[in-house]
Amino acid sequence: MSRREVYLDNAATTAVDPAVAEAMAASLGSAGAHANPSSAHGAGRRALTLIEVARGQVAARVGAQAAEIVFTSGATESNNLALHGVLTARRAQAAHLITTRIEHPSVLDTARALAESGIEVTYLDCDSRGLIEPDAVRGAFRPNTALVSVMHINNEIGTLQPIAEIGALCRARGVPLHVDAAQSAGKVNLDLETLSVDLCSLSAHKLHGPKGVGALYVRSGTALLPLLHGGGQEGGLRPGTLPTHQILGMGLAYELADPAVHGPRLARLRAALLDGLARLDGVLLNGSPERCAPHILNLTFAGVEGESLLLALSDLAISQGSACASDVAEPSQVLSSLGLSDAAAQSSLRFSVGRFTSDSDIAYALERVAAELARLRQWAPSAPIWCRSSRF
Amino acid sequence: MDYSPEVLQRFASPERVGGFMEGLDGLVMGEAEDRSLNVWVQFQVQWIDNRLERVRFQVYGCPHTVAAASWLAQCLEGKAVDALLRLDMQEVARALDVPLEKMGKLLRIEDALHACWRAGSDREKT
Repeated sequence: MSRREVYLDNAATTAVDPAVAEAMAASLGSAGAHANPSSAHGAGRRALTLIEVARGQVAARVGAQAAEIVFTSGATESNNLALHGVLTARRAQAAHLITTRIEHPSVLDTARALAESGIEVTYLDCDSRGLIEPDAVRGAFRPNTALVSVMHINNEIGTLQPIAEIGALCRARGVPLHVDAAQSAGKVNLDLETLSVDLCSLSAHKLHGPKGVGALYVRSGTALLPLLHGGGQEGGLRPGTLPTHQILGMGLAYELADPAVHGPRLARLRAALLDGLARLDGVLLNGSPERCAPHILNLTFAGVEGESLLLALSDLAISQGSACASDVAEPSQVLSSLGLSDAAAQSSLRFSVGRFTSDSDIAYALERVAAELARLRQWAPSAPIWCRSSRF
Repeated sequence: MDYSPEVLQRFASPERVGGFMEGLDGLVMGEAEDRSLNVWVQFQVQWIDNRLERVRFQVYGCPHTVAAASWLAQCLEGKAVDALLRLDMQEVARALDVPLEKMGKLLRIEDALHACWRAGSDREKT
């Protein structure tokens, strides 16, 4: 089989859709929309018009009003703005934050920073499939709970959280709910009003839009203070000259990312990959078989060391479930939360399909993984059980 | 993680990986592991007349560990058995351009080869 490069890391980032790239490029020149959208002159107003079109496109994809979309530099900034912004707005009271142990680092590290400044934080555990039980949220509420933050689709294992149930609980308590939807927007139907979500972090580059731009949905009436100061853009919540080309690219990407169109195909590709890999010995799914994202697949490969497997499969662009660049391999907190041993977590890989993934890409990946698994396992047939077990 | 050409070559096609048939004349084994480092290494040597006639290894570990085990297996073959005690892991690290943070894993290889020497010495005494 001739080697080629196959990109299966769409949960990390995606290729920009050619139509998006074309629209962005067209806006950059002097004949485009280069003017400052805050300027009152005609060129500025033309740029502003493009931004407002994009705002509408993003809002339409997530079931929001255009005025509820605040453009940011990406989901990381949106997560920071949501957590800091809500809890800072409640500074007069000793505030309490509920989140989970399997959030993206941009939530976990922000929560840690807030804890250092006196915010009380409760971290919820997930079950062995990576699910957060709504009852766990209910049990964690305190009189001073000011925010609940739960991601929609986990970026490592693809588990889809029961946001509607959690949202209903939060709404009944009058506590705002923040959802990191960087992995779910455009992949699954996202209706923020139905889900009772008050703040939602969105990314452009996860759905074939440009990097460096994202948004925070802020439900009308939600108290929020800005992270940055020095301008009135985005209702004062995110000052700074708006990057017109980035924003219009995000808008178009959101318009193109219709889960009703692309979701079934992504799910079919993921299922084909899972079906083929699960036939191999010692391959185990991490996450929920039922409540799963259409594009993310995380598997443990027993009997092979993760860094070696990753190098052996260097023609596949995939991710390791844990960071293993150092002498003391740090297991992924998400995989550890599922109950995986350090060795099993380190032998786990994430595959994520995208709009441009083909059936032949999946067939190639299946063949390559099977071949390299067999090759690497031949190197240690007498290895002790801890090297060969996928769970213990 | 960047890998040197030597590591990549040995990882792609490791010399002397595997094991000998049970009952081979002069067969001696030694192994070492560190679960916290995610590494297990086993060496099998054919110890005849105080010489390492042949050397094989099995490994569960990172690419640097695989390459280092292969490099040592090749170097040790044909040497006097005392070579098992005179390993210079710094030399191995230099030859393969192994980063400092991987030295702990390489030391498990040294442990496995020392275990071979102990097993062989014990056998010679009996």
